[in-house]
Amino acid sequence: MAFALAIFGRLDCPAQNAQGQTNSQPKHVLMLFSEGKDVPGNILQEQAVKAEMQKDSTNRLEFSSEYLDASHFSGKEHFRVFQNYIGKKYDGRNLDLVVAFPSQDYMLAGELPDALFPVVPVVFVAVNEMDVPLAISKLGVTGIVQRFDIRGTLGLIMRLQPDTRRVVVIGGTTESDRATLGRIAEESQSMEGVQFDFWTNRPVTKLPGDVSSLPEGTVILLSTVQRDVTGQPYHTSMLAQMLAPEASVPVYVLGGWALGSGAVGGAVIDPDDLGARAGQLALRVLGGEDPEKVPIVVATKGTPMVDWRALQRWGINESRVPADALIRYRPQTLWDEHQDLILILLAVFLAQAVTITGLVLQRSQRRRAEAVILDQRTELAHVTRVSAMGQLTSAISHELNQPLGAILRNAEAAEIFLQKENPDLEEIRAILADIRKDDQRAGDVIKRMRSLLKRRSLDLKPLNLDELLAETVAMAQPDARARKIFLTLQLREKLPEVLGDRVHLQQVLLNLILNGMDAMTGVPKSQRLLTVSAKQAKDGGVEATVSDCGSGIAPDKIGRLFEPFFTTKENGMGMGLAISQTIIEAHGGKIWGGNNSPRGAAFFFTLPANDD
Amino acid sequence: MNTPPESEIVFIVDDDESFLKSVSRLLRAAGYSVNAFGSAKKFLEQIAPGMSGCVLADLQMPGLNGLELQAALVKSASPMPVIFLSAQGDIPTTVKAMRGGAEDFLTKLDPKEKLLDAIRRALARGAREHKARGHLRTLRERFATLTPREMEVLEQVVSGHLNKQIADRLGINERTVKLHRTNLTRRLNVKSVAELTRLTEEAGMFRRGKTD
Repeated sequence: MAFALAIFGRLDCPAQNAQGQTNSQPKHVLMLFSEGKDVPGNILQEQAVKAEMQKDSTNRLEFSSEYLDASHFSGKEHFRVFQNYIGKKYDGRNLDLVVAFPSQDYMLAGELPDALFPVVPVVFVAVNEMDVPLAISKLGVTGIVQRFDIRGTLGLIMRLQPDTRRVVVIGGTTESDRATLGRIAEESQSMEGVQFDFWTNRPVTKLPGDVSSLPEGTVILLSTVQRDVTGQPYHTSMLAQMLAPEASVPVYVLGGWALGSGAVGGAVIDPDDLGARAGQLALRVLGGEDPEKVPIVVATKGTPMVDWRALQRWGINESRVPADALIRYRPQTLWDEHQDLILILLAVFLAQAVTITGLVLQRSQRRRAEAVILDQRTELAHVTRVSAMGQLTSAISHELNQPLGAILRNAEAAEIFLQKENPDLEEIRAILADIRKDDQRAGDVIKRMRSLLKRRSLDLKPLNLDELLAETVAMAQPDARARKIFLTLQLREKLPEVLGDRVHLQQVLLNLILNGMDAMTGVPKSQRLLTVSAKQAKDGGVEATVSDCGSGIAPDKIGRLFEPFFTTKENGMGMGLAISQTIIEAHGGKIWGGNNSPRGAAFFFTLPANDD
Repeated sequence: MNTPPESEIVFIVDDDESFLKSVSRLLRAAGYSVNAFGSAKKFLEQIAPGMSGCVLADLQMPGLNGLELQAALVKSASPMPVIFLSAQGDIPTTVKAMRGGAEDFLTKLDPKEKLLDAIRRALARGAREHKARGHLRTLRERFATLTPREMEVLEQVVSGHLNKQIADRLGINERTVKLHRTNLTRRLNVKSVAELTRLTEEAGMFRRGKTD
């Protein structure tokens, strides 16, 4: 981690001894939600976590939030795309903490951060009835599992409405929904004289009608509904808003986020309180506590909460409300009422704004996810292209080795002739003539190849180099990971459009990236940093840089870098940079290389801006 | 040429004229007898029994390639060790070539020491195999001088039958059997039945699979 902190965001190579971080840098917290952003529970929890964490002033905090939205987009493929998206988006970002709000599969707290950010500590907040999988505890993550307080809610129902004889339980069909229903069924055993009906087979669209004619002595307990029997995804709070106003009997809920809908209340999970507890936990871990040593908290108690307006509607005497329960939405003095109104309005506005931003974000997220898929598809094409380049190289090396082999054999023969007492000068002359001929032939191979490159004339199109850079870096990323090299792309500004041939420019970039990787094989893992960056050049074009932290280039060799067959690699052909130069110059650009300070080499190329 | 026929020759097969010329030149300078061919087909056409030496062949050639040349050579009148030369060695081809019995696998850019070393080894192996083949051939030639009847008698003798039994089996006079025996021992230049049996075995006569 110390290494990551020291190098991120810097173009230059780390000093030989990577230094620790400074406190002035903000701590970056990534919040991962399994549900969408427009889920009220999420909004409230997210706000509460942030608020709690910001109470602590030791660190400046920077928050990012991402939403898997598993209710609308389920399936492994979507998860993979999401994971890839998160991986790419936060690649090169310095994350200090992941706060996960996983569904019952805990993938957001386990599999995903473990794969993408293996060294970043994880704190999770899970609201469900399932046990924490062993694999999660093994990963050393900590967090809070909050259970629904079903016993507390049933107790509150009987306290407020002692005459209740029947509880209609409305629940959904997902695994998590069924787990909650199972808990309710379990608790119902201890409620003698009360009949429990489980409504899980009714489409949500039919429910408002069904609940409008329930007889007296009945109450509705709204369990969780992630999906109804038709497979349609819902949020429980949305359902509460649909049902509570229509119901002919009081509705009770399990989550604080469903309050305000017209429901009476329940021993609910208070999102503010849960968020605050999660925030405290997150602060402890951020402060350096080993999450492995912080036990996972399983909380079963809810906060009794009632809606004063609902009490009025159903004629429930306020004296029945337990002393420890919170009464919400009670009109107080005129001033208080106004204050409340203002606050409520503000909250509504805020929630609306958040929802709207959420929807907009979601759309752009989806667009980006789609782009990722497209990316992967083209990646395949690119791999073919790269291997075609490999085949080309192989063909060239075959073509070249023929004359080179002949030159070698001739030179060796000449050596033997010269060792004889009376060297046959005629023979040696013939040998030299042949050597010259083969040398010419080798030169022709190069010329032919260069003209081949030129003839496969450049397909110049306006293109955004930033996209090309990102795509190429992503392509090289698996290789970099395998070689334990930290490959980052740094784009600080919007780049002007250039005219270029995607395929050829990609080859140049790949070549520079692979060279950079090769140059760092002997460098300790913690210092293998390869940075691709680009900026607007002085002449209005683009200047791209590939900078490594390898051994650098010997000063006497800098001048020869772009010569064909010049190589510093044991198995190098010495063609990569020569070809790259041909390509870049054909674009009207320049390519050059040099050493970095304190270590490593950097290669630069420029491309003129598209003037059209 | 100052090398007598039947001596060890390095046969070079390469479609690259320039390389063919240069490597021939080098090997001649190193003291070898060289016979160069521009294609595998031309070389195989020249193969005759009794040829001895080794083959230096390019792997990638138009027409018959190096591996196909090797396969044809194994079945030819004069199998010889093959050294492959490639402008670019890749592992799958190398493995295939070595499995096929290639003596060595070199790239065209390997130094001459490596090449000459490989040729020395191949020639040694070639000579050994050639000698063994020569011995066998002379042996077979000797057997080939026998008449069909003498061959029949020989087969009975090495199977351990007495003259009387042989006479019965072949339906001829016992005296005639004796005559055939004397003739065949003289022609094969052997003194005893034991020696006769050993020679017959060496020459691979009357092996299993031959009809009784």
